[in-house]
Amino acid sequence: MVGSDNNQVSATIDGGSHRARTIIVAGQSSQRTREVLKTLRGFTNVIWPTSLEAALEQSGAADAGCLVIADDLHEEPVDEFLQEARGLHRNLPIFVITDPDDVAEAVSAMRNGATAVIEIPPSYAALREEVARAVQ
Amino acid sequence: MKEMPQTVFVVDDDDAVRDSLRLLLKSAGIPCEVFGSAQEFLAVYDAAQPGCLVLDVRMPGMSGLEMQHEMNIRGATIPVIFITGHGDIPMAVEAMQHGAFDFLQKPFRDQELLDRVQRALTRDTENRARLRHTDRIRERLATLSPREREVLDLVTQGKANKMVAGDLGVSQRTVEIHRAHVMQKMEAGSLAELVRMMMAVAPRQ
Repeated sequence: MVGSDNNQVSATIDGGSHRARTIIVAGQSSQRTREVLKTLRGFTNVIWPTSLEAALEQSGAADAGCLVIADDLHEEPVDEFLQEARGLHRNLPIFVITDPDDVAEAVSAMRNGATAVIEIPPSYAALREEVARAVQ
Repeated sequence: MKEMPQTVFVVDDDDAVRDSLRLLLKSAGIPCEVFGSAQEFLAVYDAAQPGCLVLDVRMPGMSGLEMQHEMNIRGATIPVIFITGHGDIPMAVEAMQHGAFDFLQKPFRDQELLDRVQRALTRDTENRARLRHTDRIRERLATLSPREREVLDLVTQGKANKMVAGDLGVSQRTVEIHRAHVMQKMEAGSLAELVRMMMAVAPRQ
């Protein structure tokens, strides 16, 4: 009990900066989205909203750490969703996951506001590093 | 000031690529200059020259990415289209994170390159117009007295004359006079226009 009280106090002093920021994952239910979620298992605050609208809304929350676009989306093309997210959330790190070696898709994502593009497979570690930096 | 014509600068160590790009751009009626190395280009490039850059990633001596870094240090705003035979995603991401306009893998279709060159030239025109616009705003800002600058900062924060007067410890009438001078010197027709000007010169995140 004492320990948790102490945690509470330090969190208050630091303005809550020790609370883990939320990692919002967007992507249809697919092999790749599942792989991304598995890769992020070590993080405490991963959410996978049921709609893109909800993902956009969560990305605007005060404790949003980053948005990970894991796969193609049912509702709209990735680049459009990306533009929308970037337009609404200027400073939010947004990571886009692509198939290996799809350079054209990666370039397009970067032009539309991605912070970085990561190939899954094989760059699982790179994804964890980027996300860790974004939520710290 | 007279506008210089837009030029496409091609930097590639491969003679065959330089020749074919020169022919392609010539056939499209786009002025072009070619260079065999980054050093050769950097020695003569003047940042005031409008256009775009078609830059090979892998070159002996200074690589395309190193040259991009050098151009960034020099404050060059010219859009850069990277071309590469062995591109991978980390390389493309790095180039784009450092401000590349585009990144194209060889082999590409002629039309694909021409489309991207046209887009880059349009972007360059827009960039330069924006920079001229912000330069003019900065010049006008420099003509304000310290007190006028204070008034400007407060009114563009949305404060009414009465609040500004309170903040600065002067009469409301004095604020009105300063404010009129600010509008005149900044050549702003309305408060909204003044706010837009200040947003245009605000440092970016």
